[in-house]
Amino acid sequence: MFNTTGKLTLAAIGAASTAALIAGAAYAHHAFAAEFDGDAPVLLEGTVTRVEWVNPHTWIHIDVVDEETGSTQPWMVEGGTPNTLLRAGLNRRTLSPGTELVVRGYQSIDRLCAPACKANGRDVTFPNGEQMFVGSSGTGAPDDGADPTE
Amino acid sequence: MKNALKLCASAAVCLMAATAPATLAQQADIQTPSPWNPDYEPPRMADGTPDFTGVWSKASITTIERSAQFDDLVVPPEIAQNAEEMRSRLFAERRTDPEEGAPPAGQNVGGYNAFWLDPGSNIGVVNGEYRSSWIVEPADGRLPYSEAGRAEMEAAVDAAWNNYDDPEVRSAAERCTVGYGSTGTPPMLNVLYNNHVQFYQTPEQVTILVEMNHNARIIRMNADHRAPELRQWLGDSVGHWDGDTLVVETTNFHPDISQRSSQAQRFYLQPDTLVEERFTRVADDTIFYEYTVTDPDIFTQPWRAEMPLWRAEGPIFEYACHEGNYSLPGILAGARREEAMAQSDNAGGGQ
Repeated sequence: MFNTTGKLTLAAIGAASTAALIAGAAYAHHAFAAEFDGDAPVLLEGTVTRVEWVNPHTWIHIDVVDEETGSTQPWMVEGGTPNTLLRAGLNRRTLSPGTELVVRGYQSIDRLCAPACKANGRDVTFPNGEQMFVGSSGTGAPDDGADPTE
Repeated sequence: MKNALKLCASAAVCLMAATAPATLAQQADIQTPSPWNPDYEPPRMADGTPDFTGVWSKASITTIERSAQFDDLVVPPEIAQNAEEMRSRLFAERRTDPEEGAPPAGQNVGGYNAFWLDPGSNIGVVNGEYRSSWIVEPADGRLPYSEAGRAEMEAAVDAAWNNYDDPEVRSAAERCTVGYGSTGTPPMLNVLYNNHVQFYQTPEQVTILVEMNHNARIIRMNADHRAPELRQWLGDSVGHWDGDTLVVETTNFHPDISQRSSQAQRFYLQPDTLVEERFTRVADDTIFYEYTVTDPDIFTQPWRAEMPLWRAEGPIFEYACHEGNYSLPGILAGARREEAMAQSDNAGGGQ
């Protein structure tokens, strides 16, 4: 029935669904590669100032302090869509102002930084390494916040 | 483990190595899904027609086309259930290291955390069978593009993804008119998130509200199509009852929704494509959703697909896409910046 042995077929199926998600991560409501710059990786360690609970995607605003100059640069990080987050048990108050986050992502191609620089939240974690959110099997979402596309 | 999982994302052998113990542990739990009861009696509306009202979901990891890993439409239960388990483990075992530093340059930027996606976690089940694709005809489970149709599709994809001249040339999804990947336009396909639909029903019309982008498709019962000069985003749908099956015929699509490609498929229809959908309640928690797509200008044959719609919890909150669509101005501003940089480089090179 299948074109490979049993074990390899299992692996191939898993890889196929993973491959679909890899590609899918790059194209959802919009093409991420059209908005964010693959040659502009960023590592942001900052403090949440507010969460924009808006469609089509949420935006997490954080203040990032430059350790050398002491100056503060606001950033806004793109997140998932509110309907999906609600089904996972999250709401606009889940991330309270003052929460520390570590964001690994890519800056927007436009480089606009008013009112804040923009990045996609490819990985969002707490400073102690915990995932930002814990998934719920009831939503069909993955079990945690990791992005398996890396 | 991290390196192994990185390879797992692209290499089948490593995926097998990382998940083989779970695969073996699952062998004792294999269950075969039950076929639908042919004598199932659906709940009915006051006029006696089957009651489709309520919220349903099309989330699944099965896609419209069959991937090359599968030879056949039907997936044996042990294969399907192990694959679901493996997929779950692949996501669960990947950890983010906050000490890892910035991601490398020159890569696909990816999306946001995978948690924020909701594509479903199960392989689609149709009448007791796990399915490798929604397409059942042709038998290879692939969209039967003609040579000319494929060329038209590829040109449309190129135009949609590489033209940044103004908002009107960007995709309907980026413009917040209709969801991407044919999630709301018939045939309604599953995408990465917001896969819900809600049915409203009267004797005169059936309305399908699709979560993304909060579009309501009004199906006029026992009516004729409107003139083709009036092309609506979701097409013009008319319906009738064939016994307990709701039959819907749609055409006259808006030309800006022809390009419907997404993560899983290169999907292209044109304004005059004819889509016939058939909805049948087969269980308390399932609608059997069939569709046949006919367009001799694009495909070598009519093709047919089968998928389930699952009963889901509501409500569906409005996906008010225009509310904060920073993406579209950001994408256009990014293109303007790149153009300015290119002009600057050219000017510098000429001096």
